[in-house]
Amino acid sequence: MKNSFDEKILDEAQDWIKANQKVVLATVIQTWGSSPRQVGSRMIVNEKGDFSGSVSGGCVESAVVSECLSLIKDNKPCKKIEFKVSNESAWEVGLACGGEIAVYIEQIH
Amino acid sequence: MKLKTLEEILKKKSSKTEFAILTNLENGNSEIYIPGTSPEGEFSKYINEIEKFFKSKKNGVIENSEIFVETYIKPIKVIIVGAVHIAQYLVDFAKSLNFEISIIDPRGYFASEQRFPDIKVINKWPKEAFEEIETNSNTALIALTHDPKIDDPALQFALKNKFYYIGALGSKKTHENRCQRLSEAGFTNDEINSIHGPIGIKLGGKSAPEIALSIIAQLVSETYKK
Repeated sequence: MKNSFDEKILDEAQDWIKANQKVVLATVIQTWGSSPRQVGSRMIVNEKGDFSGSVSGGCVESAVVSECLSLIKDNKPCKKIEFKVSNESAWEVGLACGGEIAVYIEQIH
Repeated sequence: MKLKTLEEILKKKSSKTEFAILTNLENGNSEIYIPGTSPEGEFSKYINEIEKFFKSKKNGVIENSEIFVETYIKPIKVIIVGAVHIAQYLVDFAKSLNFEISIIDPRGYFASEQRFPDIKVINKWPKEAFEEIETNSNTALIALTHDPKIDDPALQFALKNKFYYIGALGSKKTHENRCQRLSEAGFTNDEINSIHGPIGIKLGGKSAPEIALSIIAQLVSETYKK
């Protein structure tokens, strides 16, 4: 029986929204190989680029933040992003663990 | 995700209702699913797959689809006997680990709400207190009073009801005496040896937060062994 360790992140998302911030929710939806965070791990990002929670061990967070900011800027509802070792941007941001993850980002509106 | 859906998720979480969030990764639609009911619209044809995720308590994308399923299962119930100093630190650790804590202590001066805000504190002897808590083999017991007249009835209840984790605070000598009493009460060696005593993994610390950390570490480890 797995515990959902990140449970508080959705409460925090609601707090941010109440404070009139735009919030994008990022969720790990798939993993391959060794990845630090399990499926269902979450992170929230606001329009200023502040973030809370995590989708990896610090490897791809910065890339996810900029994807979330673009989502807000372009006013799109959602997007799926894959970080693979073969992916150039993953090398840039450094998926040092050698794993692969897919992250789904969505605006809360 | 709609704000309305987020609010509904938080409501379900605080009422400790089991549910799943279904998300269509293509169009961004999401919906809350309650086990045993029928999912609506675009999610309805995946009912069997969704139930499978629920039964295995896993999250993931349904094969050959763009549907993501995230299940929320009830937190594990942890009963602490003894509203002592260590219990205050245990409560702090447990908050971020999705354990649901109840505390039993017949001693009113320990079992005060002021010492344990937002926690269910039952100011009764274990035998009566257990009548107020629903328990099963997914329940854990942490006995902290090292007072036989308080701890022993709770340990006996936990053994009889096959709690998956039972730990009891006390020195080796205290634990030997405890085992002796349980043996005299008719418990088998296997049952008695299933009790983690002295409680906690060896960290070397002696302070209340250090002991709490060693106990919670053992509890998490045993939870993943289930």
